[in-house]
Amino acid sequence: MTIASTAPTEQEENAVLRAHITTQLEQGTLDLPLLPVVANQVLQVSGDPNADATKLAALIQQDQALAGQILRIANSPAYLPRSPIVSLQQAIAWLGMNMLAGLAFSVSVQSGIFSTKGYEKEVRHLWSHALATGLFGKEIARRMRHNVENAFLCGLLHTIGKPVILHLVLTSQTNQENLPTWTDLEPVIQEYHIPAGSKLAEVWKLPDPVQEAIRLYPDQVYLQATSPTKGAIITCLADHLASHVFDSSYLDEETLRALPVIQDLNFYPDDMDALFELREGIQQSVEAFLV
Amino acid sequence: MNTSSPYDLIVIGSGPAGQKSAIQGAKSGKRVALIEQNREVGGACVYQGTIPSKTLRESALQMVQFLQATDVFEFRMRDDVKISTLMTRLDKVVRAHGAFMTEQVARNGIERYHGRAQFVSDREVQVKGLDGVTRSIRGNHIVIATGSRPRVPAHIPIDHEHILDSDSILSLIYLPKSLTVLGGGVIACEYASIFALLGVQVTMIDTADRPLKFLDQELTDQFCGAFEKTGGHYHGQQQIQSAQWDGFSKVTTHLENGEIFESEKMLVALGRVANIEHLAIQAAGLEPTPRGLISVNEQCQTTVPHIYAVGDVIGPPSLASCSMEQGRRAVCHALGLDSGDAPEHIPMGIYTIPEMSSVGLNEQEAIDKCGGALVGRARFHEIARGQISGMTNGLLKLVADAEGEKLLGVHIVGEGATELIHIGQMGLLHHIDIDRFIENIFNFPTLAEAYRVAALDIAKQRKK
Repeated sequence: MTIASTAPTEQEENAVLRAHITTQLEQGTLDLPLLPVVANQVLQVSGDPNADATKLAALIQQDQALAGQILRIANSPAYLPRSPIVSLQQAIAWLGMNMLAGLAFSVSVQSGIFSTKGYEKEVRHLWSHALATGLFGKEIARRMRHNVENAFLCGLLHTIGKPVILHLVLTSQTNQENLPTWTDLEPVIQEYHIPAGSKLAEVWKLPDPVQEAIRLYPDQVYLQATSPTKGAIITCLADHLASHVFDSSYLDEETLRALPVIQDLNFYPDDMDALFELREGIQQSVEAFLV
Repeated sequence: MNTSSPYDLIVIGSGPAGQKSAIQGAKSGKRVALIEQNREVGGACVYQGTIPSKTLRESALQMVQFLQATDVFEFRMRDDVKISTLMTRLDKVVRAHGAFMTEQVARNGIERYHGRAQFVSDREVQVKGLDGVTRSIRGNHIVIATGSRPRVPAHIPIDHEHILDSDSILSLIYLPKSLTVLGGGVIACEYASIFALLGVQVTMIDTADRPLKFLDQELTDQFCGAFEKTGGHYHGQQQIQSAQWDGFSKVTTHLENGEIFESEKMLVALGRVANIEHLAIQAAGLEPTPRGLISVNEQCQTTVPHIYAVGDVIGPPSLASCSMEQGRRAVCHALGLDSGDAPEHIPMGIYTIPEMSSVGLNEQEAIDKCGGALVGRARFHEIARGQISGMTNGLLKLVADAEGEKLLGVHIVGEGATELIHIGQMGLLHHIDIDRFIENIFNFPTLAEAYRVAALDIAKQRKK
């Protein structure tokens, strides 16, 4: 759908945008293409018969759009899993290298390319935050001696609604030369990302614990979560840590240590020390991905 | 330093040993403080050990029985019945048990402290909360009951993702196709048999020639038979050189003999270590043993007479049942109360599939101690109740003296073994003759009838 542009006021534009988003959410017609850099890498690895399997596995586990699409298709009747595929690692083990490469290839071709024009820095930030949250989620789960795979997946996909909204906005603009500023867009993305992420997760039939984490990861809201995987509460802290690493204006270390989620996870100061020590490593891993 | 009046008793840790210690103290009218580092009362027993593993076992058995019944009763189970169904039930049971224990502690007027305990002196303990704030409390008697956690062997990189321990395996979100289990002890065997029953291809690898070496061999032979029937395999007398994730889909295990095993996941169950590292026991005048345990006498009293240690921190048998009794007895001793006779015959229950349980002497021990032994056997397929309930894979073994008169031990493998053993335990406590099982009447049909059948087997072997 396209929105007619007849020089409306900023307020009118905003209202039209919100109405458009609401309609799309209601209809469930949401889409999330791959980033060009990811699509390129997938095409490269999946097309190479001598490609290293670990490279493909790593690629799938670094990108939220690709990860979500792989889970969606692996659970489809075409692949007939013996039980639902609830983790990326499970999908990798179940499908094997050849089938996985084929699947990744078709995802990269069919899902299209995410246009980042004008928002390169911001898009990069969204992707970095998602991956960093997944990686912090892993480490939080490890400290709890709890399921690491689920914590990672919940973290990676918790803000999947943000690029969905961004994509929705970009594809709705008739005049690509006059795109809204990020300052205008950010509150809209922030407002709608949870319903958009929840809707996409529902439509894509993502695993229940992931759907719960997307819906309930914010502070204190995680108390409503019932999944024994603890994905929502782990993601809440992981999300804070990822923001702390990638956004210099975010909460400082002392403020982070006082968050209720830390008490709710029963984390002692030494647990937090251990997590803070991982900041640099996680930052490097994330930055290496989007090069 | 804290100047408030000291507690009569401080208990550190709220697992089975700590909880029973605290309750004994409170029921004796004493002022009791209970320090727990987790938010909930119950310790590893409730949240990572006994309760979850037994719940998982029970759920797995029910699920498999239900699946088998689909043929008989011509119905189909939903395809998406998955491990999360089992885990959700597990979570509910654990929460319910934790809530019950918390309520029990509160009902007895025990004062709870949430934080990590650290000795300042032999009578003063500092409690460090989640926020880092510390509080000091003093006690006339102190019981250490901080339990244990899975051991992390230096050469196995446990990542809780591909290579798991007995804590992280409880939060699996799907069933792997294959699982390598390192270890041949109780925890290893319990999880190996549960996952094999659920259709996972399980390989156990251990240094011993058979699993659960401390048990009667006939029991472990029967366990191995059942394990193999579900597709499991025990690979004994092996040394592990290394285990690592291949970065794609498999954990590769290299043995020193050159063999290589591959599996989707690995469970490392190579023992447990005592939780004493935060306690600073040296400040109380205590030293850990070379194995990292706290040394105690038969009253669970440490080298500092008013400090006791109970449960996993003092080492084997590390059974929840024993830990509870240790806690009760330690506090009775501390408070100068009569704790009754020391338990003579402690049953051991192993929740494998099938269950195993044992009390008293085994055949070899009886020969060594009494100069001979007669053994009577009853197989569950010979017992009417075994046939009716489909529990035909079982064996009850009675060990008697050389004359076949005195009961010396009972060993059982098969469903219901951990309940059935208590008849034998009572027999041993009351020094009964083998003939008492023959002369008395049991409900019919029950598995208890196996006692009578095994006793008749002994009677048949007596010298005329």
